[in-house]
Amino acid sequence: MLRDLDPLLHSQLRLAVVSILMSVEEADFVFLKEKTNSTAGNLSVQLEKLSEAGYIEANRTLEGRRTRTVCRMTEKGRQAFASYIDTLKDYLNVGK
Amino acid sequence: MEEKVLTEKESLELISQMIQATKKNRAVSPGKELLYWGYFTSILALTIYLLIRFTSSGIWSWGWMLMFVFWGFSFFVHKREKTVVTYIDKTIGQVWQVLGWMFVITFWVVAIFGAIYGREDFILMMPLSLLYCGLGISITGIIVREPWMIYPPLLSFTICFYMLQVLVISHYATNLWNLLFGLSFVVTYIIPGHIINKKSKVKC
Repeated sequence: MLRDLDPLLHSQLRLAVVSILMSVEEADFVFLKEKTNSTAGNLSVQLEKLSEAGYIEANRTLEGRRTRTVCRMTEKGRQAFASYIDTLKDYLNVGK
Repeated sequence: MEEKVLTEKESLELISQMIQATKKNRAVSPGKELLYWGYFTSILALTIYLLIRFTSSGIWSWGWMLMFVFWGFSFFVHKREKTVVTYIDKTIGQVWQVLGWMFVITFWVVAIFGAIYGREDFILMMPLSLLYCGLGISITGIIVREPWMIYPPLLSFTICFYMLQVLVISHYATNLWNLLFGLSFVVTYIIPGHIINKKSKVKC
């Protein structure tokens, strides 16, 4: 029987964010917003969800008058992503 | 990006699309930084050479301490510019961090021994700086696979060994060393910097 896909990752914006963070060491909010073509509000909400689940780590620092949010994957997030990919592969193999 | 229910195939496509989008930022182009350092150091070397030449005073050698000021300044500017840090960036950063510490340690060892023996002489910093800078550029070139950064530092190493040999034999440095130092930065930093910048413009 096929496992369910992790609902936290199986969402367009969250999956896009995690895919980016998996291929870099860290990325800030501006970079993620630009690459995912999302709105600041929506991205903030999705980052919060990923952070609450312990999949990403979001560090906020003050740079001048602006707040800079830098995100990076946690070990838990990496494992969840690897497991998500494994499940995806199972689904695609069944479909063949 | 709007929220919608993804199929398995769409998920894989999205992952691949995001990785490709990130890859575009991975094309590390260290050309700009090479040019900053290259021009700053070469101009500084020439200025110190000319000042010593026309005033006959070695006091101008302290001008080399401006390298530390420029280092701090460029570190601050560089940090503010970055919106993403790739694994390559992190590795290169760590290489330069170690080399930076080597500069600091060398400086303090020379200063402490100078104070103990009552003879402050930072001339050893010059060949060792060439060695550290050359190693840094060469290792960075190996990481980013840029031959124009890997091999030119051989000139820095040659000048470094020449200076060390002169120190061993005659215990004496000449004003010409300032020019040689500047020349090594022209070959190791400025020329590769322009070539790399030109290459990355062609790619775009």
